Amino acid sequence: MYEINICHLYPELLNLYGDYGNIQALVRRLEWRGINVQVHSVSIGEPFLQDRYDIVFMGGGQNYEQDILHKDLLMQKKEPLIEAVENGTVFLCICGGFQLMGRYYKLSNGKEIECLGAMNHWTIGYEKRLTGNLIFKMEGLKQQPDGLVVGFENHSGKTYLGDGVSPLGKVVYGNGNNGEDGYEGARYKNVFCSYSHGSLLPKNPALTDEIITLALKRKYKDFVSLQPLNDIIETLARESMIKRLIKP
Amino acid sequence: MKKIINTVRFYVALLVGKISIHLLRITGSGGTSLPGKLAMTIYPEILRTLGAKYRIIMITGTNGKTTTARIIEQILTENHIKYTSNKSGANLISGLVTTLISDVKLNASPTSPTALLEVDEAAFRLASKYVNPAVLVVTNFFRDQLDRYGELFSAVEAVREGIINNPDTTLILNGDDSLCASLGKDVQNPVIYYGMDELPESEEENGKAYNNDASYCLYCKTKYEYLYHTYSHLGYFKCPECGYERPEPLVHIVRVPAMTSEFTSAVIGTPSGSFEAHINLPGFYNIYNALAAVTFAEVLGFSHEKTIKALSCFESGFGRMESISLGEKNIQVILIKNPTGLSQVLKYLATVDKPSVICFMINDNTADGTDISWLYDVDFEPLKNIQSRIPQIFVSGIRAEDMAVRLKYAGIFTDHIIIEKNNQAMLDSALNMLDVGETLFILPTYTALLDIRKLLIKRFKLKNFWQ
Ligand SMILES: [Zn+2]
Repeated sequence: MYEINICHLYPELLNLYGDYGNIQALVRRLEWRGINVQVHSVSIGEPFLQDRYDIVFMGGGQNYEQDILHKDLLMQKKEPLIEAVENGTVFLCICGGFQLMGRYYKLSNGKEIECLGAMNHWTIGYEKRLTGNLIFKMEGLKQQPDGLVVGFENHSGKTYLGDGVSPLGKVVYGNGNNGEDGYEGARYKNVFCSYSHGSLLPKNPALTDEIITLALKRKYKDFVSLQPLNDIIETLARESMIKRLIKP
Repeated sequence: MKKIINTVRFYVALLVGKISIHLLRITGSGGTSLPGKLAMTIYPEILRTLGAKYRIIMITGTNGKTTTARIIEQILTENHIKYTSNKSGANLISGLVTTLISDVKLNASPTSPTALLEVDEAAFRLASKYVNPAVLVVTNFFRDQLDRYGELFSAVEAVREGIINNPDTTLILNGDDSLCASLGKDVQNPVIYYGMDELPESEEENGKAYNNDASYCLYCKTKYEYLYHTYSHLGYFKCPECGYERPEPLVHIVRVPAMTSEFTSAVIGTPSGSFEAHINLPGFYNIYNALAAVTFAEVLGFSHEKTIKALSCFESGFGRMESISLGEKNIQVILIKNPTGLSQVLKYLATVDKPSVICFMINDNTADGTDISWLYDVDFEPLKNIQSRIPQIFVSGIRAEDMAVRLKYAGIFTDHIIIEKNNQAMLDSALNMLDVGETLFILPTYTALLDIRKLLIKRFKLKNFWQ
């Protein structure tokens, strides 16, 4: 029987805007297919065991909370996290988690906060928050030919992608990474980053299944594909927002 | 000369305010902020001039403002104190101004010299520059509509700044909330804390806080240790590093002998002795609202007898668990606006032992918060546990489909979920499903509450069952 181990990084600190929904979506969609799933919380002072996890999730937090974990993340977890990324572990990093995976976060007062440097992107603090509904288009989303992913963004940093990192998708509605280059999120190896928080995975089951499939294929050489589920409700929710925002 | 001009402007503003209140009432639109806005355009200082004429009691915090205000109103009534209040819940500056304008006579003297004002946290900071409240009651701080306010701590800091502007105001603070209790540190104000010493047995599982808004020390960022949690981050907190801890409450819950789906009975300790009271409203979280109101009564030196009477008979108000009887069936409408609030409401629903039908109405207008991802921070476990006795769960509102997804991922059987975006149709089918004596629970976000109120008035010819 297949089994997937999910690592939830700093769950009590990085859980802004319904981040827990993403974990729940992964868990349910694995359970509904009879695949065993375990969620491991890894917080301050707890070791990140890079070989143990198939999917790593890092959400967003308020500045106050990000301050608390910053030292632990950089001193204790940086190396094994980068190793896991390089080894092809599947990651989902949302909002603050997305920013932390990059090189640095430059505050609007010029001060630079060092980040993990697992990926070549960086974030510049910006006074005006980029907030609102977000729709972006992903290439190669097998179950969902239109490739449209629906979410909500709320960030004050503008993120820019460097060499070696590709965007997760192209903005169709909203701001995305910086409101300038039309990109949303980032992809590197098996890492998925996005500014779309909270209900990203529950409402976009094709993306969820893409992430699950990657993790299963990496772990089990004989794994072929997931059995389809009834996604009528998810589709209704996704399409009602697409209709409301971009199809008059 | 300047003084005369200001006096003229004040009276013009007052008159315009009064006329517009009157006109809005005639047209039935009942606007509660527009008159204040108009008056402030004419005379920006109007809140200062009017505010000086009143003894002002303010209530702020994330959850429980309205309910606490309703209990305090009843306490004032029992003690024969005439008051005015912003009952409609218009709790921004313009709403406060409207309330005072509608109370004063044309010569600007108050009809009811005590003003009980529920005020939004950010609006309190602004209001504090114009008025000197005699008493400020703070209920709690939870995550609420972060898309508008940025971060949780900015709400706390807004209230703190407001307090610094008013060093004479007596502060009544929830001592079980580490964020709220911090407002009483290092200030000159008289401070009185309230808190809960003991939990009812049914609540003791609460230690496993599902979503925790403040688990790290506000001062030194060390993880708090808890003797007990009441709910969310409330409880007996203690920082092992810097020693910041729950302050000793002067007014406190000693015991909760009974908690049913209709009422709570609590033993409350005060400096002048303890007493048992029957709180006319169910829900664990409402014990805190009652406690805040009792603390207020203590500060004003009211008798226990009258406080007990007030707790037993106050009206909770529309959208705050008020039961609307339709003869054989009941409707209870409970406003939902943030994760902690909804989690607590679901815990309450689990105490209702009769079968019932539930309807979530989720809108995403500005007043509701445009981001609905907070629904994923809600603990749906209590609802999941009782789903066998809930034949149907309706979802309606602009984001009905998203709510359906949320319920599905919470583990609610999808064949129990009905998406019905037409409120009239939803109401009819839901009521049809009820047997005699059963209740339909409607859980709307703020603008959905306005919609359902309109519908209920039209449908059942209910008049003025709210104010
Ligand atoms: Zn401390």
